[in-house]
Amino acid sequence: MNNGIILLKTLLLSTSQRNVYSHTRDKKKKRRIAWSITGTAIVYALLMAFSVLICIGFGTFGLIDAAPGMCALTVSLLAFVFTFFKTNGYLFNFREYDMLMALPFETRTVAACKFLYMYVRSLPWYMSISVATMIGYGWYARPGFAVYPLWLVLSLFLPGIPMLAAAFLGFLVARLSAGFRRSNIVQTALTFAFVILCFSLRFFLEDVLANDRVQSTLVSISGMTGNAARLYPPAGWFAEAILRRSLPGILRLTGVTALLFAAVFAVVGRSYRNINSALKSHAAARRFRLTAQKPRSAVLAIAHKEFRRMIGSTPYMVNGAMGMLLAALLSVVTLVIGFDRIVETIVRGAPVDPAILRPAIPLVVYFFIGMVATTAFSPSLEGKNYWILQSLPIEKKTVFQGKMLFNMALTVPFMVFSTLCLCVSARAPALDTALYLLLGLALCAFSTAWGCVCGIRHMRLDWENEIEVIKQGAAVAVYMLPNLFAVMGLAVLVVFLGMRMDSRVVTIILTLVASALAALSYARVMALSRRRV
Amino acid sequence: MNSNAILEIRNFSKSYGTDKMAVDKLSLSVMGGDIFGFIGHNGAGKSTTIRAVVGVLDFTEGEIAIDGHSVRDEPMACKRVTAYIPDNPDLYENLTGLQYLNFVADVFGIGAAEREERIRKYADMFEITNDLGDLIGAYSHGMKQKVAILSALIHDPKLLVLDEPFVGLDPKAAFTLKAVMRDMCGRGAAVFFSTHVLDVAEKLCNKVAIIKRGRIIASGTIEALTEGHSLEEAFLEADSHE
Repeated sequence: MNNGIILLKTLLLSTSQRNVYSHTRDKKKKRRIAWSITGTAIVYALLMAFSVLICIGFGTFGLIDAAPGMCALTVSLLAFVFTFFKTNGYLFNFREYDMLMALPFETRTVAACKFLYMYVRSLPWYMSISVATMIGYGWYARPGFAVYPLWLVLSLFLPGIPMLAAAFLGFLVARLSAGFRRSNIVQTALTFAFVILCFSLRFFLEDVLANDRVQSTLVSISGMTGNAARLYPPAGWFAEAILRRSLPGILRLTGVTALLFAAVFAVVGRSYRNINSALKSHAAARRFRLTAQKPRSAVLAIAHKEFRRMIGSTPYMVNGAMGMLLAALLSVVTLVIGFDRIVETIVRGAPVDPAILRPAIPLVVYFFIGMVATTAFSPSLEGKNYWILQSLPIEKKTVFQGKMLFNMALTVPFMVFSTLCLCVSARAPALDTALYLLLGLALCAFSTAWGCVCGIRHMRLDWENEIEVIKQGAAVAVYMLPNLFAVMGLAVLVVFLGMRMDSRVVTIILTLVASALAALSYARVMALSRRRV
Repeated sequence: MNSNAILEIRNFSKSYGTDKMAVDKLSLSVMGGDIFGFIGHNGAGKSTTIRAVVGVLDFTEGEIAIDGHSVRDEPMACKRVTAYIPDNPDLYENLTGLQYLNFVADVFGIGAAEREERIRKYADMFEITNDLGDLIGAYSHGMKQKVAILSALIHDPKLLVLDEPFVGLDPKAAFTLKAVMRDMCGRGAAVFFSTHVLDVAEKLCNKVAIIKRGRIIASGTIEALTEGHSLEEAFLEADSHE
């Protein structure tokens, strides 16, 4: 058997929950795996239902022909974003690097297999979107039978190009940062820079794509899809192949994916060992002098350890601090452009008084800042080093208090900065600003404590790669998804209620509810730390 | 380059920062039948050298050859005849011991009969046969070390490279490993390993090299280095002169 296939099979087997389930004797672990599979199945079902609903929308308005292009764009965008954030942990600086590189594998085989592993692992997500859209499309468009196998086969290629592009960007980031002594920090800064660039491009493209001021949102999306397919040709090739059974469309999508794969890994393979050698080696300080060290309390020591853990890991920093960065970015942009103008852009000229949207400010800030709580994954991140905390003469609750303190120290300054910027830009009265800050503080406390509850309940120490718990862990999913949807709903609700009653009362009520939830979550953390870990 | 050497290192240098050399112009030869001990303080450059030898670490200065093949230019030919056991093996924890051994055997293209015979032989020797069906994540450090040793022996390498191999092994397993090393060398293979345990090096090795701050400060046969003293005394003597 080809060595690449052997390696890919082993990489997949080594993270297969089914394999663990079959061989473990630990009943608790078996139960946890069963729950995790059930949870994942529910998320798949939700994703598929969402895709079918979009198709129903398109079908109802007679725009079903836009569905293939929309599906291609959605899959491509998700594939690009998720791969870019995962590349660092999967392609470079992974734990078993020494073991793999000492075996007779070509460097490009290892790099390509690591990429293919990422592809195969994420493929079911993209396929669930694609298959659900195919079902919806089939229902409304009634295409010939040949479209279905064609759709399925081309769906396998759809995430290929964006994933390869994201992996190559990740490679460039790693390549550039490998030359620096503090490569982690440089790598994170470059990743953030790319994200900011992507966001700026997104706004620029949105402006370009949505310039025809169409009436209905769906027609607008449909028009945008067409424009976007022109800007991102692979989406157009997919749509062309499905709608017109076009052979050139099929050949372009499959051929370009294959060629790009070969080209990317020919380049990556050349400097793969060089990059990993640099990333895995640490230069010793030349003139280190031991100076007086500052004693800290146990809780502060844990919080400080968490800070060091964060700056020592690019995936941790990128995922844990991305929300803060986006919040700060949004607030600075708002401060420069002006709150009223941003609102005008969002509502596309509709007669809306920007003042009625002010009560949503703390929730908009929280949408970014509460996106990911470090407490949701930091218990799992202890991994094999968990014994260090276990063997220390401190109570478990102290450990989690330290982790929560760190998350508060990370989120609160950004919350205060972003809220103040937005309030200044929106010309919010001082009392409103103070109330928004209080609500923001309560939300940060809730996010921190609720994240910790999820982190303890779904703690997983036996990971191979920290990305597995930072990005794909059950704790993060359980924390993030309801939190995101709830905050979006709440933002709409406070604006709606603010129009019918005093918006300050709404903010105070929300602050009290968030504080109560934070207190309950904190109590739950304390209870869990006594029982479970 | 010495064509009879299984491992030949010539003027190998490696720096991590811009000015500090982790290894500085290191040269040594390991011949077939040698059990070569590589000793030195923590941070002396042992692991850096070993990682470069097994093709894990990129290097630009000097030349390393295994069985006549350049590690830099012909890495695959070198890796096919080499086995490496790191000091803290990172194995796939969600595979069973047997699944992991099969993975390594597949990579080296070992046939079914040969693979079964070798796995059975070494697993029995290291008394781990009954645990091979369990997940590696459930193993103790010593058991993981044993699986790493088994995976290194499965393709009958010409050069066995070990980084602190006796750490975590129980006395019986350590004894067995020493016997395996002697047996390999008896068949013409070579063993190159780093250790802090000077007693082990003295009793097991026929040659040693002492490395300090990236430079070899003493090298040769045990007899020539010790001159009637213990290796510990010779080590301390060489160390104090540098």
